[in-house]
Amino acid sequence: MNLGTRGALTFRLGDYCFAVRVEEAGGVLDADRLAQLPGVCDPIAGVAAFRGEMVPVVNLAQYLGIETSASPGPGYALVLSRGMDRFALLVPEMPILIPGRELREAPRGNTDSELGDLFESVLENDQDQFHCLNYWRIFETIIPPAGATAGRNASTERGN
Amino acid sequence: MPAGRNNREDDVRPGSSPPPTVLITLIAAICAGLAGTVASGLMAWIAIGAAALGGAYFASRTTGMVKTSSDATRARRLLLLVDRGGSPDSKTPSEFTDEWAQLYEKVNRLLVESRALPAAVSQVEQFRNQVERAAELLRNGKDPLVESPEIRAGVLLPLLESLKGSASLPLVSHLRLGEEEELIGAGGDALPPDWPMPSERSGADFTEIHRGLHELVQEIESLRSTLGGGGNGDPSRGGDDASLRTPAQLVDAVVLTAADGIEDLAAGLMRANELASVAERVTNRATLLALNAALEATRSGSEAFAAIAEETRRLAEFAREATDTISRLSSEIEYKVGETITAIHATSEDAKTSLAEMGGTPLPANSSARNARVQVVRVLDRSRELLQALGEPDRPSPGSRAAISFRSSAEPPKPEQDDVENVSPPADKSSVEGLLLIEGLKPGANLES
Repeated sequence: MNLGTRGALTFRLGDYCFAVRVEEAGGVLDADRLAQLPGVCDPIAGVAAFRGEMVPVVNLAQYLGIETSASPGPGYALVLSRGMDRFALLVPEMPILIPGRELREAPRGNTDSELGDLFESVLENDQDQFHCLNYWRIFETIIPPAGATAGRNASTERGN
Repeated sequence: MPAGRNNREDDVRPGSSPPPTVLITLIAAICAGLAGTVASGLMAWIAIGAAALGGAYFASRTTGMVKTSSDATRARRLLLLVDRGGSPDSKTPSEFTDEWAQLYEKVNRLLVESRALPAAVSQVEQFRNQVERAAELLRNGKDPLVESPEIRAGVLLPLLESLKGSASLPLVSHLRLGEEEELIGAGGDALPPDWPMPSERSGADFTEIHRGLHELVQEIESLRSTLGGGGNGDPSRGGDDASLRTPAQLVDAVVLTAADGIEDLAAGLMRANELASVAERVTNRATLLALNAALEATRSGSEAFAAIAEETRRLAEFAREATDTISRLSSEIEYKVGETITAIHATSEDAKTSLAEMGGTPLPANSSARNARVQVVRVLDRSRELLQALGEPDRPSPGSRAAISFRSSAEPPKPEQDDVENVSPPADKSSVEGLLLIEGLKPGANLES
């Protein structure tokens, strides 16, 4: 079964397991040196340095409203990259890399349907099911692209 | 010349009968032998007799020396006995007679008892109690030998008899000589006839007594501190000597030492925990590096990269296991250290409770046993010397009896009183100090006062 991926980085938030395809992942780093930014919305936990660049770190659990147990440390930042753009997801535990040969597609559930267009697919192995989300869309809902707001405003003005 | 030759020819004339010269010579030889034998026997008897007489003479001349040197021999044997620490099976040697035999037996018994320290302690305590009791009775103007059968049967008997015989003033009064008259009134009628008179003894006598009493008290105090742990004594004496501490103090010292050592160990464990946390951070970094390597290998699909990533992962796992082991061991040791500290404190409390239940009998440390024995012997010797000094027969004392009779008469005592004070002021002062020293045998008393 071709999943279109070589593997996935999986992590747990509360009662849910999530996965990031390795093609989207840029790397994992410690989140112990996050720099807090002033005047940002809550899901943005700060910025971290990754390979000489600053990447914004999004607290996914806070964005999805998932309660997580208090972790002993600051956690890790899972960097996603798309072209030259990067951002990171703040996860409490170190992600686990699962090869693609151990994963298979799973049917979506009711919870996934509530996520709407944020949901992408569900992967599973012998133990767990992993929800693959459209993380870039989540990021863009938090921090819209530079031209998106201007274009929407322009279309609005045109509509008016 | 021819005549002589003829004579020789007659002598050797052959065929003649043997001349009587041979027989005479033989008989003379026998007689000479017999005479020599008889003469030698007589000379032998004469020599024996002379030797016996000489021996008797020298023996008669040296008998006094032997008699005078036997005391030194006994003293040497006593020193040997003391040096050997006594023996329960030891018998009094034949040359020890009368008081020497008693002294030998008592020294031996005391040495043997000093091995069993509680017995020595009780004996010293008994002696101290008797002294305190005697001092109290004397302070109240009573005769200890009449009031207390225990004192009458104790070792203080010769001392008190001697003091009673000397009718020393300080036995019933701490006032200086002459102060009674100032309070009661001068004159012979003012004093009862049985009122103690000034001491008969000379100043040198009382100086010796005072010195002996002072040394005796110091010896007893030192012995009490050694055997009893010095609980009520002067804390400055032997306070730093570990062998003179009470068992409770020793338990405290041991507990404190153990607790200090374990606290040092706990501090070392905390440092080890810090290093373990550093190792854990390094391990996390290694794990993260392995994860990133595996991610890149998976994304690129490179076999070589995957192999390197796999080795990195194994290295990170090894580091993780080692760090976990270190953390677990450190936690276990820390837990056991805490348990040990708790157990030590609990044991200390149990030991103190047990000691309290045992009546608080102080048991001196083994290291002080020999010192205690030596001090017991020294106290005994000093006591005997003192008693001998006090119990000696009448010495020629200047006008003491005269003073008694003088004060018993109707004549005014003042001049004689002045004479006594002027002649022997040290006697009065020494006696007062001696009495005060006896009274000062209570634990913690200030002996120098």
